[in-house]
Amino acid sequence: MTRVRVTAPRSVRAGGITAGSATAGSVTAGSASQGGSAVTAARLAAASREAAEESDAGQVFVRSLIRSQLRLGVVVAAGFLLILAAFPLMLGLVPGLAESTIMGLPFDWVLLGAGIYPVVGLSAWLYIRTAARNESRYRDLVGDK
Amino acid sequence: MNPAVAIAAFAAVSLATAGIGFYGLRISRTTGDFYVASRTVRPWWNASAIGGEYLSAASFLGVAGLILLSGTDALWFPVGYTAGYLMLLLFVAAPLRRSGAYTIPDFTEARLDSRVVRSVTSVVVVIVGWLYIVPQLHGAALAIRITTGLPAWVGMVAVVVVVCVTVVAGGMRSITFVQAFQYWLKLTALAVPILFIVFVLADSGTPAVAEGSVNPTGAAPAGMYQNVSLLVALLFGTLGLPHVLVRFYTNPDGQSARRTTLIVLGLLSVFYLFPTAYGLIGRVFAPHLAQSGQADALVLLLPGELVGGMAGDLLSALVVAGAFGAFLSTTSGLVVSLAGVISQDLFGGSVQGFRRAAVISAVVPLGIASMTGSLALAGSVGMVFAFTASTICPVLLLGIWWRGLTDAGAIAGMVTGAVLCGGAMVAGAWLSPGGTPPWLAQPAAWTVPAAFAVMVMVSRATRGRVPRTITRLMTRLHTPERPLVTER
Repeated sequence: MTRVRVTAPRSVRAGGITAGSATAGSVTAGSASQGGSAVTAARLAAASREAAEESDAGQVFVRSLIRSQLRLGVVVAAGFLLILAAFPLMLGLVPGLAESTIMGLPFDWVLLGAGIYPVVGLSAWLYIRTAARNESRYRDLVGDK
Repeated sequence: MNPAVAIAAFAAVSLATAGIGFYGLRISRTTGDFYVASRTVRPWWNASAIGGEYLSAASFLGVAGLILLSGTDALWFPVGYTAGYLMLLLFVAAPLRRSGAYTIPDFTEARLDSRVVRSVTSVVVVIVGWLYIVPQLHGAALAIRITTGLPAWVGMVAVVVVVCVTVVAGGMRSITFVQAFQYWLKLTALAVPILFIVFVLADSGTPAVAEGSVNPTGAAPAGMYQNVSLLVALLFGTLGLPHVLVRFYTNPDGQSARRTTLIVLGLLSVFYLFPTAYGLIGRVFAPHLAQSGQADALVLLLPGELVGGMAGDLLSALVVAGAFGAFLSTTSGLVVSLAGVISQDLFGGSVQGFRRAAVISAVVPLGIASMTGSLALAGSVGMVFAFTASTICPVLLLGIWWRGLTDAGAIAGMVTGAVLCGGAMVAGAWLSPGGTPPWLAQPAAWTVPAAFAVMVMVSRATRGRVPRTITRLMTRLHTPERPLVTER
């Protein structure tokens, strides 16, 4: 497979989008029609990069990146919700657990009032690490440094 | 409580807010500055600002009040408010930042290439924003009435005036600093008094708080359906809140949007320990507040009740300052995002138009708030989450992750969600509060799936309307930004 691409101008993305949305309030860099030669130049460069990304080969990588990010999000969300559902189930099913105390505080309060937050943080941290790894794998694939 | 102390606390917070707002005016010049602080805000600042904006009257007063009333059932509120941010991180944060849009209507218009979708989204966003401001103003009314004895409308008007002045003066740039300050103010205002109370209780040899299961109202525990439905609303409502979304555009790129969200999760987790502590201590030592219908004022009254004297007055002043910080920060965040939407749709996106739109978006909810009575704060904010989850959440999630979404599907789904959830809210308010069946009181469990289903089915039926720009847009949303050599 040929690695056409993506060596194209690197500042384009930021420049193109800001120029597109600041005035018209529209997101598509290509659809707004402001004049100005800087804008036009940025848009041409953006077009060439996007053309490469929209080629069949480019789209294979993009689609696989989207799929892996979505799968990651769903897996983390499902895992978190399972743990969340397990907390009240545990309190309901294990006799005497809800009435026990930790350091003078009722156990069910400690579990629901404080114990869930570390789970949230851990899920978020795992997600961010893996999502960044997916993206750097994509960068490697398209030959971006 | 000493009224002078409360008024001084409110004045101090307002002055600090306006002061930081004016300071920010010097650095905000262009339209871009006004809307999103030119996307140059550092993650820690941004995360504090998101926390400051998100922690509203419902979090500061309402959660503790609801815990006082209904015990462990109410613990799902802070859990859901926090976990909503997790969902935001997993499904929305980075792609939305990469879309480059300023507001939710900007996003839907670009994604679906349709002006009509933009208008429908704008209407929904404005409704959500107004509905969310109303409980903030009710909170302000309650706080003023309880702490100073002044008529309730004074509190609402004061909040609206301070917010208008700040927003009109500085836009987002100063708002970011104001909000970051407000987070730390709110945290301090809850943490210091409750630690003081714990020391006082421990000192006086009060037995440990083991009997948290005392039930001051004798209310029956909520059923399984209600808890699940509430969680659906909170988990999926957060990722559609307009004032939360607009904050993500101030991150420099998608990866930093994620990092910001992680910090926000930490800040929220720490914060929510304190309302929970207030609720638990209130259940044991101040159950009479629940019986006399003042549950939402628990946080304001507890320091005075349990500490007393000069120290009690000072602690109360701190709590009042934090409460007004909460009303001001959430209201101003909402006003900024609503003004962004209204000014771009009605006034062509100029700075002058933004100012005019800001005043409109603050004054309308003032009218609504003064005509309606206050309900339990956390409960009425929960309804707004249900509404957002049934309207904006589906269009965002499907728009980001599903290529097949069409303009017709988006509109049909949003209208379905709005009608079902709005209908449930109206019907619930119309029936007596006690007589509302659970499926009307917590509608999210069926309105959210209904909105998703309609959106998918209508999109399927109108397959030919998928915009031609879809490939380029999906690429932009999901691929990492190129490392920038030069910043333009």
